Amino acid sequence: MTGEPYNDTVRGLFEAPAHAGDLDGGTTVFLADHSMRIALSARLSQGNIGALRFRAWGCPHFIAAAEVFCADYEGRPAADLAGFSASEVMQTLSVPVEKTGRILVLEDAVRSLGQSVRGGPDSDQGRQ
Amino acid sequence: MMKIDTEFLYLDYAATTPVDERVAAVMAGLIDIDGDFANPSSTHVAGRRSAAHVEQAADRLAMLLNCKARDLIWTSGATESDNLAIAGAAAYRANRGKHLITMSTEHNAVTDVFRALEKGGYEVTWLAPDEHGLLDIDAFEAALRADTQLVSIMHVNNETGVTQDLAGIGDICRRHDVLFHVDAAQGVGKLPLDLATLPVDLMSMTAHKLYGPKGVGALYIADRPDCHIEPLLFGGGQQRGLRPGTLPVHLIAAFGEAAVIAAASMAADLEHLTGLRDQMWQGIREVPGIVRNGGADASFPAILNVSVDDIEGESLLLALEPLCVATGSACNSHDQEPSSVLRALGRSDELAQSAIRFSFGRPTRVADVDFASRRYCRAIDRLRALAPEQPA
Repeated sequence: MTGEPYNDTVRGLFEAPAHAGDLDGGTTVFLADHSMRIALSARLSQGNIGALRFRAWGCPHFIAAAEVFCADYEGRPAADLAGFSASEVMQTLSVPVEKTGRILVLEDAVRSLGQSVRGGPDSDQGRQ
Repeated sequence: MMKIDTEFLYLDYAATTPVDERVAAVMAGLIDIDGDFANPSSTHVAGRRSAAHVEQAADRLAMLLNCKARDLIWTSGATESDNLAIAGAAAYRANRGKHLITMSTEHNAVTDVFRALEKGGYEVTWLAPDEHGLLDIDAFEAALRADTQLVSIMHVNNETGVTQDLAGIGDICRRHDVLFHVDAAQGVGKLPLDLATLPVDLMSMTAHKLYGPKGVGALYIADRPDCHIEPLLFGGGQQRGLRPGTLPVHLIAAFGEAAVIAAASMAADLEHLTGLRDQMWQGIREVPGIVRNGGADASFPAILNVSVDDIEGESLLLALEPLCVATGSACNSHDQEPSSVLRALGRSDELAQSAIRFSFGRPTRVADVDFASRRYCRAIDRLRALAPEQPA
């Protein structure tokens, strides 16, 4: 590894992830592999995403990416979750290409969250 | 003594040390037109003045190690010394046998030479450490064969600080007429080493681990009938042809000055470093899931290596900023694979990837360690609070 591995955005989001935590009464999905774990929680309000929270175990880019997702998608229609793309987040955070797989895990988690919330506001289809 | 930068706290002295200002002054005085800059191989007066600095430096380093100055060969650093010792000795004794012994926990500067020799037809026995990182003496003795020519075991492990019993290993080597090489990059100038009594044939060292400059090292070659090496480089015939090339007088003189300072301050340094390491361990030992890597009984005072359960190593390193610490050997910190040294100690991949090496130096203060231990505890708490629970 040479030079600065994290841009200022990653550093800021890693240091103070505003959306870290849990949601009471929300829908939560969980995904894990050997190098990361993620729990995403959403609470809907009239078809929109009223609140998003995450918990993450992984590298700083992964944690920052989870925060970027939560910040970007709060207030948007729940249907938008299906359109979340890892590539945009990777560009924002200057994620090294060798970490693509990690951000794709987040993408899978977001899509899983989208499927879960479409099952109903109280749906909880956590999977591993 | 060195200035402490307020933007970071340096606790990576096992990777390298700052040049002591007294050493820097010696070096600076030798590089320009007003200094003794001439080629020490030149026979004119300027060359002889330069050569005198080289001889004085050899005397100084020899005094630190209690060996003869003529038994020291100047190199570019410990990596070159390791290469020269191992490949050079293996080549010199190739007609007697091609079996070599080392440990899986050696520095890459050693293991990579042995791997290259394996490709060249040598047979290498790789000994695993015990759970504390120490060489199993019985397994070692059992591995020796009639065709064994060289054993290479490091003094102080650069990742864990585990310190091997050089006298015990060397005695066995002498009984079996096998050369004993020691990578002593971490220990020289910090721990007492008496080469007049230690049964060591070849010893690698470097200046930049003891407050000297980067770019200069030395190889000790014992003055014994069977202790010879072949050169790896060829050129001007300097240093009896064993390591030719124009000698960097300013770096060598600086190494000599660093050796003088190390000898004078070794006892105080050891007390200081031991106190800092113990203070650090006391400050973090109650962290749930923490383990100390490397046995405490054979631990080098300047290094504390710890792993912790269920923490991602890369995030831990960032959360620890402004601490400058290592996740393993700085020489291979670009490698994201879990440390092979820690894996050899029986650590799981998960524990190995969370390892942090704190290493302390002369400039480190009690307040620095207090800050570092609190920072470590806080980082662990924060990352654990951020992590999701595994669903039932």
